[in-house]
Amino acid sequence: MNSKKIVSLAAALGVVASSLLGATPAMAEDKVITVWADETRGPALSKALGSLADQTEGEWATGYKIKVVSYSSFDALKEALDKATANTGPDVVIGANDWVATGVKNGKVAPLTLPASVRANYTAGALTDLSYQGKLYGIPISMNNTAMLVNTKLTGGKKPATFAEMVDFYTKNKTSKKLSAGLCVAGGGMSFGAIGVLNALGGAPYATDSKGAVLTTKDPIDVTAMTANVKKYLLDSKGKSTGFFPADSTGCKDNFLAGKVPYAVIGNWEWKDYVAKGFNMNNLVSVPGMTKTTFGKSFASVSGAMLTTYAETNGNATGAKSFLNNFFGSATGVVLYARHEQRPPAHKAASGAVSDGAKAFSRTGNQAGMPQIGDILGNSAGGKNFWDALPAYWTAVLIEGKDVAAETKKLNTLFKKNVAEGSKSLK
Amino acid sequence: MNLVSGRPLAVIAKVIFVSIALAILGLLAISAFTAGEIAIAAFLALSMIAIAWVYFTNVSVPLKFFLPGIIFLIGFVVVPILYTIVMSGFQYRTGNYISKPEALERVQALGVVQDESMTTYDVTVGRLENGELALLATDYLAGTYFISDSDSKVEIASTDVELNEFEVAVSAPGFEALPPDELAAMDSELSSLRFYSEDSYYLVLEGFEVASLYTQVLEYDAASDSLTNIQTGDVFKDNGRGNYANINNSEDVLIPGWRAPIWFENYAKLFSDPKVREPLVAVFIWTVTFAFLTVLTQFAFGLLLALALNKAIRGRRIYRIILILPYAIPSIMSILVWAGMFNTEFGAINALLGQQIAWFLDPNFARAAVIVVNLWLGFPYFYLVSSGSLQAIPADYSEAAAIDGASPRQIFWQITLPLLLKILTPLLIASFAFNFNNFNLIYLLTGGGPRATLDGEIAGATDILISYTYQIAFGSNVQDLGLASAISVVIFVIVAAISLYGVKKSKVLDEFV
Amino acid sequence: MTKWLRDNLWRHAVALGAVGFALFPIYMVVISSLNPTGSLQVTSFVPNEISFINYTQLFTDPTIPFMTWMWNSLYIAGLVSIVSVIIGAASAFAFSRLRFKGKKLGLQTLLLVQMFPAILALAAVFVIMERVYNFAPEIGLGTQAGLMLVYLGGSMGVNIWLLKGFVDSIPLELDEAAKIDGASPMQIYWQIFIPLAAPVLAVVTLLTFIGTFNEYILARLFLVEMETRTVAVGLQQFIGGQFSTNWGAFAAGSIIASIPIVVIFLSLQKYIVAGLTAGSVKG
Repeated sequence: MNSKKIVSLAAALGVVASSLLGATPAMAEDKVITVWADETRGPALSKALGSLADQTEGEWATGYKIKVVSYSSFDALKEALDKATANTGPDVVIGANDWVATGVKNGKVAPLTLPASVRANYTAGALTDLSYQGKLYGIPISMNNTAMLVNTKLTGGKKPATFAEMVDFYTKNKTSKKLSAGLCVAGGGMSFGAIGVLNALGGAPYATDSKGAVLTTKDPIDVTAMTANVKKYLLDSKGKSTGFFPADSTGCKDNFLAGKVPYAVIGNWEWKDYVAKGFNMNNLVSVPGMTKTTFGKSFASVSGAMLTTYAETNGNATGAKSFLNNFFGSATGVVLYARHEQRPPAHKAASGAVSDGAKAFSRTGNQAGMPQIGDILGNSAGGKNFWDALPAYWTAVLIEGKDVAAETKKLNTLFKKNVAEGSKSLK
Repeated sequence: MNLVSGRPLAVIAKVIFVSIALAILGLLAISAFTAGEIAIAAFLALSMIAIAWVYFTNVSVPLKFFLPGIIFLIGFVVVPILYTIVMSGFQYRTGNYISKPEALERVQALGVVQDESMTTYDVTVGRLENGELALLATDYLAGTYFISDSDSKVEIASTDVELNEFEVAVSAPGFEALPPDELAAMDSELSSLRFYSEDSYYLVLEGFEVASLYTQVLEYDAASDSLTNIQTGDVFKDNGRGNYANINNSEDVLIPGWRAPIWFENYAKLFSDPKVREPLVAVFIWTVTFAFLTVLTQFAFGLLLALALNKAIRGRRIYRIILILPYAIPSIMSILVWAGMFNTEFGAINALLGQQIAWFLDPNFARAAVIVVNLWLGFPYFYLVSSGSLQAIPADYSEAAAIDGASPRQIFWQITLPLLLKILTPLLIASFAFNFNNFNLIYLLTGGGPRATLDGEIAGATDILISYTYQIAFGSNVQDLGLASAISVVIFVIVAAISLYGVKKSKVLDEFV
Repeated sequence: MTKWLRDNLWRHAVALGAVGFALFPIYMVVISSLNPTGSLQVTSFVPNEISFINYTQLFTDPTIPFMTWMWNSLYIAGLVSIVSVIIGAASAFAFSRLRFKGKKLGLQTLLLVQMFPAILALAAVFVIMERVYNFAPEIGLGTQAGLMLVYLGGSMGVNIWLLKGFVDSIPLELDEAAKIDGASPMQIYWQIFIPLAAPVLAVVTLLTFIGTFNEYILARLFLVEMETRTVAVGLQQFIGGQFSTNWGAFAAGSIIASIPIVVIFLSLQKYIVAGLTAGSVKG
């Protein structure tokens, strides 16, 4: 080794050593509860809470500030939660009720107990929605449902009482009013959004008794009746779609707003877009059934603020529970939040304080809502889960012109298997 | 050869640069070590040794060039590959997602039951005179107050407590409430504490102001690694597949489970389970078809353009600029725009054709759409390389042939094209390989769909292997990382075998060795 | 005239057809960006109402930090492409010009490593970066620096391979001559190779830049804070969300985001074409 080399080595080691000495342990900071949410609920919560800097420490949980992280989409949020492992996970995540089952199985969400005073603010259904095997995993925030909006300018003020009335209106006015469809799904896609239509035609993802309990042995779909209804109302004599009910949901919103569709299923997160274009939420109805006063039921599930297992590893569990109780469990917090979210709040005390649109969705949800049971809908024991199977059914009968009886029978068999698998975990 | 004896300025620059790199890595290694990330700390330390050794001695000149690349490759490419291979031997899916210690912790945390009336108390957290943490609880219904610590519960007379504006007891003799600013700091300690109550029940904090009653139902015995339900007497044991299962009923498992080694079971499934095998074969066929058709159409169209513009016609410069645009525009944007254009009702394509085709709902139309979009994305590349190569073909060949009386068509098919193919083969192969794994296109354009049959197919009609694997691993609802990893490894073996064979045949690697 | 027709008409016909194909989607984006309703309305090919609201929205709406996204993308892609090529060029040079034991093995390993379907490595990369976060939150999961590290690692294999192909096409004579003059590999690298390879390096830098600019899957999981997002993640949220779609803003944003790339691409056109063909045209 020559002298230059020794000098350079020494210099290098010197730099290393000095930089290591300069390293100081991280300073203790304000404790923060981190909440993850999607692209609509996140900003709403942020606005309700004010920015992290604006919050008074301990306003909602003693000694804590609340930080909201909004993902760019619902899918990105779900994916991030699936991948979160240790210290980067959130303390609270705002998600759909069907996340609870997989969340428990993957060790992502943790159980909690609401104080009796808070629990009294929610319907039993809302709490069941966020429960799995008898334990509650979050606090209900808002209802997530769809309903049918009628363009009364087009129909001359009439709201349909039966499915046949809608089909009839479409057939008669198709050409004269340049209708592009009769009933289309603008919000929620061809599974979540189209469940009301499926139900009106005689199908369901699972059969229930009069009290709403799941029946595992009964056929979810009345195959004969549904086959007949699909043929009668959706198809022409050659077995091709009449165009009344498109199998594709994209473009429906635009068409409806442009006055080219009389009836559209819309989501409760977007009703303001319709009000802005002059539609009245009094014309929001449940999808009419085959006879008067019957309705196609659609999912009325709640989204919830769930406690994660990371709150524990992060040392924030008690604070996070405090935050859930004090903010989402109190009328003050919920009203603050509901002002920025369009959906109907799940909290009873707050439902009076909200807008007409939210009230309208509350009304249809109470009239023709059904629970969205994650384990039944999400499993694919029959080959496909509900979310993929229903769109596939519409495509098969409405676009590809496959045999309706055979496809309906297949759908029924598939649902039945999924129900059998999914209800194993129900107690 | 000896860098240190090079120009002084260069030496100083090198010493400073390497030292900074070492310093940063050293810092990271130390903090990784203190945080308990031993593997990463070791990797960083080894990198440091390697850097110091390579750059301050003359052990190997090539390594001076390779080392930074090697460190990155190992850290972010090789390790993830090894990780994937390891994952493929595990039961690693929804329900078996976390490690065994974590799962055991969760199982025990879930193995509790609330009292039947779901009692909750408003509480104040504080300390007893002996310093022990305790709760001062208010029972509204009974109008009573009590203090509970780890092993006792003492009633307090209502005359002895001081109430706040919500009628909750905040102080009592011998009990001092914790100041609010201490609560948050003690969160992790508080959340794990169990405060005494009657009949094997205990109180747990549900926030700083509330507590509820629980009793432990599942009890863990470390010696036999088993859990017993003390209410029913059921015993649950490790079933070797990542779950504690009831010894009398193997179907009855405790949630959650953990990642457990199942060795080659995921691989076996690929061949034995028709629900996995059949879609996989279908997807594989489409993947090859897709990659082949893509390369063929892109090359054919690009070449046609190159031939057409191989002469100084008027406007050639403008043509060229416009034709490069699809290549220059960020593909993430153009793919999404194309997705919109294929919309059934509003899409520009249907408007142009005057049709109402449901492009992404019909398998064949969806596949056609994928090919068309990919043609748009890729033809400029082949146009550019073809026109470059056309100019590289000596004109003598075609002139000679023309003198011999060959028609332009004959010249093209018999002279130009074979020469071009010879030149462009590596690029064609590279393009095939790229499209074989063209995840972005499929994911953003069709999402792999349509998944339009009720016959139990999980794979979509336009799913290629990589998007299908992604779907299995990270899709909605049920996710199976173990199976997806096994598929990855199998794809890798197939592709690698073919390419290595090809490389050996063409002796590409021998050229400069 | 007929000869002109025979010789040139088909050329123009083919070129015009291709131009139409190339411009069609671009035209559609432009009119969507001028459509004030923000919907996917392209039923007519001539816009019936022109408005710049989608553009002004991008620059004035405080909830859409578009310029920050733009800057993030340019900065991340720029830094990654430059560092990646600096490191990659050194390896490529060594593979191409130096003789050493295990070269063939090294090349084969590099080739194989690249063929691994990397999408699943996502899970592993996530675990690694999560652990990094535990001790160095500044460069772990959820940070731009962490994302850049992952990009660097991911682009390394491809870039070394690509650069090696290009480097092989640079004539050996010059460095042979230098070698005879007693120059060390380091001197050959810095004084002869780098100047010669500069155009090729520029091309690979640009290709890496575009590749990084387009990356979306990792970015949307890494960059969740509004202010740290790249333009690809930011824009995707306009149309990829479950609850809302705004094609107008997406179209306007796409156009603005594309401009810098297109400008760079067109101005470096000559080098890019030379670079792209260099890999293949070596006889």
